[in-house]
Amino acid sequence: MVSETPRLEVRDIVKSFPGVKALKGVSLRVMPGEVLSVVGENGAGKSTLMKILAGVQSQDTGTLLVDGKAQKFGSVSDAMSHGIAIIHQELNLADNLEIGANIFLGREPRRFGLINNAQINKDSAKLLKRIGLNVSPKTLVKELTVGQQQMVEIAKALSINARVLIMDEPTSSLSAGESANLFQVIRDLKAAGVSIVYISHRLAEVQDLSDRVTVLRDGENAGELVRGEVTHDSLVRLMVGRDISRFFARNPHSKGKVAIEVKDVVTTAWPKHRLNLSVRAGEIVGVAGLVGAGRTEMLRTLFGVDAPVSGSIEVGGKCVELKSPKDAISAGVALVPEDRKQQGVVLDMMIRQNIGLASLHQHSRLGFLNFGVEQQQSTDMSQRLRVKAPGDFYRVGNLSGGNQQKVVLGKWLAMKPQVLLMDEPTRGIDVGAKQEIYQLMDELAGQGIAILFVSSELEEIIGMSDRVIVMHEGRITGELSREQLSEESIMHLATGH
Amino acid sequence: MKGKILGILTVLIVLCTCLAFATSDPWWNLGTSKFLQADNIQNLLNRLSLFGILGIGVAFVIITSGIDLSIGSAVCLCGVLLSILLKVDYKPVESPVVLQVTAAEQTVLLDGVFDTLRPGTTVRYTGGVGSGVIMTVDSVSVAGQQTTVKVQEKLQRNEQDGRLAIAAPIQKLESGDESVVTVPADAEIQVGDQFQLVKADGAVTTQRVTAVTTEGEESRATLAKNPGEKYGSDAFAILLKRHQRTSIPMAIAIVLVVGVLLGFVHGVLVTRVKLQPFVVTLCALLIYRGFSRWLTDDNPAGFGELQQVLGPVASGRVGLAYRGDEMVFGIPIPFFLLTGIGILAAVFLNRTVMGRYLLALGRSEEAARFSGINTSRVTLVAYMICTALAALGGMLFALDNTSVSPSSFGNSYELYAIAAAVLGGCSLRGGEGSIFGVIIGTAVMQVLNNMIMMLKIPQTLEQPVIGTVILIGVLGDELVRRAAAKRRVRQTAG
Repeated sequence: MVSETPRLEVRDIVKSFPGVKALKGVSLRVMPGEVLSVVGENGAGKSTLMKILAGVQSQDTGTLLVDGKAQKFGSVSDAMSHGIAIIHQELNLADNLEIGANIFLGREPRRFGLINNAQINKDSAKLLKRIGLNVSPKTLVKELTVGQQQMVEIAKALSINARVLIMDEPTSSLSAGESANLFQVIRDLKAAGVSIVYISHRLAEVQDLSDRVTVLRDGENAGELVRGEVTHDSLVRLMVGRDISRFFARNPHSKGKVAIEVKDVVTTAWPKHRLNLSVRAGEIVGVAGLVGAGRTEMLRTLFGVDAPVSGSIEVGGKCVELKSPKDAISAGVALVPEDRKQQGVVLDMMIRQNIGLASLHQHSRLGFLNFGVEQQQSTDMSQRLRVKAPGDFYRVGNLSGGNQQKVVLGKWLAMKPQVLLMDEPTRGIDVGAKQEIYQLMDELAGQGIAILFVSSELEEIIGMSDRVIVMHEGRITGELSREQLSEESIMHLATGH
Repeated sequence: MKGKILGILTVLIVLCTCLAFATSDPWWNLGTSKFLQADNIQNLLNRLSLFGILGIGVAFVIITSGIDLSIGSAVCLCGVLLSILLKVDYKPVESPVVLQVTAAEQTVLLDGVFDTLRPGTTVRYTGGVGSGVIMTVDSVSVAGQQTTVKVQEKLQRNEQDGRLAIAAPIQKLESGDESVVTVPADAEIQVGDQFQLVKADGAVTTQRVTAVTTEGEESRATLAKNPGEKYGSDAFAILLKRHQRTSIPMAIAIVLVVGVLLGFVHGVLVTRVKLQPFVVTLCALLIYRGFSRWLTDDNPAGFGELQQVLGPVASGRVGLAYRGDEMVFGIPIPFFLLTGIGILAAVFLNRTVMGRYLLALGRSEEAARFSGINTSRVTLVAYMICTALAALGGMLFALDNTSVSPSSFGNSYELYAIAAAVLGGCSLRGGEGSIFGVIIGTAVMQVLNNMIMMLKIPQTLEQPVIGTVILIGVLGDELVRRAAAKRRVRQTAG
């Protein structure tokens, strides 16, 4: 191993953006046929480094070597010509086209000047077979599941004979089954000599897959672990730079009255099933299930985004009709949505304006804004939630994911909700900020807020919930008390048993 | 945002300065500048005000990340509507419908019963071939809801339609410095009515009544002009009552309400039916234009005598400098309107909850909706503001122009308004915009227009010049933005 030339190597890479120095001299080696994981908190510089490796961006200073020779990538196609391909977290597929057309997009084989579809289909079929995706290359991409689409991206990378495949958070939107499938493909590729650079927040995956882990912190190398040394705690210690003794902060709280009661509610997404559940004040209830189990749809219904088809919802003992988020908010229900950047915050507005957005009408006089209250509220919330920013005039789009999530929470706490719905509350948030969000959830429960949260991370569900509801294909398949919680018990229900 | 406005303000100042020198002769003597002449500045301010009002309106829609292409047509429609609502006509107090004229019996059969028809009354028959025949009533007989009038004159032919106008007998017609007609008081004459003076031989003249005094049984009506010697007391006077469709405040209110309703329809189609703003307002553009032409039969619509009353609102000035009694320079009245509307709009956008919602939903509709904002309603309001201001602008443009040619009036004004809003810092992606910026943007457009006239650039080149300047402006803005971003990177790196 030691004598071998790294297939891809970077030395002392520096890269700056407006307002931040993202990389302050990072080095990294990728050996042939290994899985190298790159982990780090959000803002540690992982994405930037990957973009430089893939030619999406170029470094300010530092060298990049392919097979020991210095190279300069001016574009993605430069990187591709050296066999380096990247699969972004947000998939880059034209979903109105067929699988084959996507795989060869921009490199279509031609015959007589026209696209040679026969060739595309033949070659695509071979690639799909290699990664075990059992669908026709003529299928439209939009008809595939997210997991299958990811496979198409991999096929696309293989079609250029990629020797280094960079995967940025590939499992963030996959179900457990799809993830397992992906891991198998990764192992197969590795066996075939392809090097994989794997980026993930999910430390369990990293532990499972990696031959080696490079940890980044604040744009610098924080350390390296080889297989065998990789454990959850060792990773977190390197990422955060300190020990995290109690990751999931739960304190025992006394439970109050039922804050929200859902009776026989039918959602538009899954009209066949009736949903029944209740959450008491001060209780944290987790909702587990695979992607597409109808968890998000349930929260959307409880928040009035999609009005329920039938059934009744009681908040604080009063029956409420939820036809719009406005109704839900005035009933005391708040939602921290899954898609933070689109639904949670207005990226182009200041922290102050975002925090005030849901409650400013309450403090207005004759429709005029009350800047004093807005300021007060924003100062209170920023302190209470420990939002890290130069000031509350800062644009929310410039904040890290964790701080953005705190702004979303601040917006809701400013209107004192009884029920807090949270959809994947820590998605795309770094470990340090995750822990803070957990702490806040615990604090809020202690203040008597009922929390119902959806999560695809089993660790989180098990760590945070007083009680867990498991869903499968639009139906609640079971409920588990804290004592009954285990990955097995949850997955058993989540797969419909 | 502030940088953008500062940028466009600089462009405006540079443009004005250059133009001021370029139109002077010799160039350094600004006293000779044609651009700086009072007339030109007044004219410029007037046009700035009118277009500025449209620009502010469309800015609201652009902030929601929508667009309104119908403004030009809405301007036309509202101008036409104002003209129609304020239409003035003069009709006899009573003018019975003629059912049948029987020449052999010398009778006229009328629909209805009329008190004013008595033996001896003079009437004028209009309609059919024998138009303008003067007749004297001999006897009247009523049967049911029909009246048969026997007349003294011999009639030429039978007729089946037409109308009778009932004349008041002139008791005296004085002609001198002013002409005064004296008629029985029951005619109820009012200032503004007209008298149609008819001689037995058929000669007719129409005169406006400028003053009325009533004493006992007689009313003395002063006429605007001397009708001439030949209309003596042997003439007949037919009183034509002045009839204005609606009062001025009512007409203005109706046009504004129509404006708001147009926006309401646009808004509902955009927010509830979820049609694209571009398509909705493109169809509206066609509909309003065509409708305006149909309403007016494609004829120019004016304001007649009301132009003098209303015109000053659109083209009047409040004097600032006088030479003797002559006003040398004055601020156009629409400029005050623009200032008022501008202040209201800026306060609305920046200081009210609704304004904040507007900015929030323009940037991220979903996040706004998930924050409990009724985004449909707020968007609806934006569309309503837009067309309401287009209606106001339409009335002002029409009055300033004195008449509306429905096929061309207001053509492509929407593009000028949108361009001004974009120049003034509104992003078509939504969520960004400043009222002051829009006004400055409008000013740049108008100064450009002025420049083309002043520098004798062929009028045909106006649009290319304006298009190019907007492109350069937007390009410059983008380049400055990128340079600033690069500078920040270097600072961070250093």
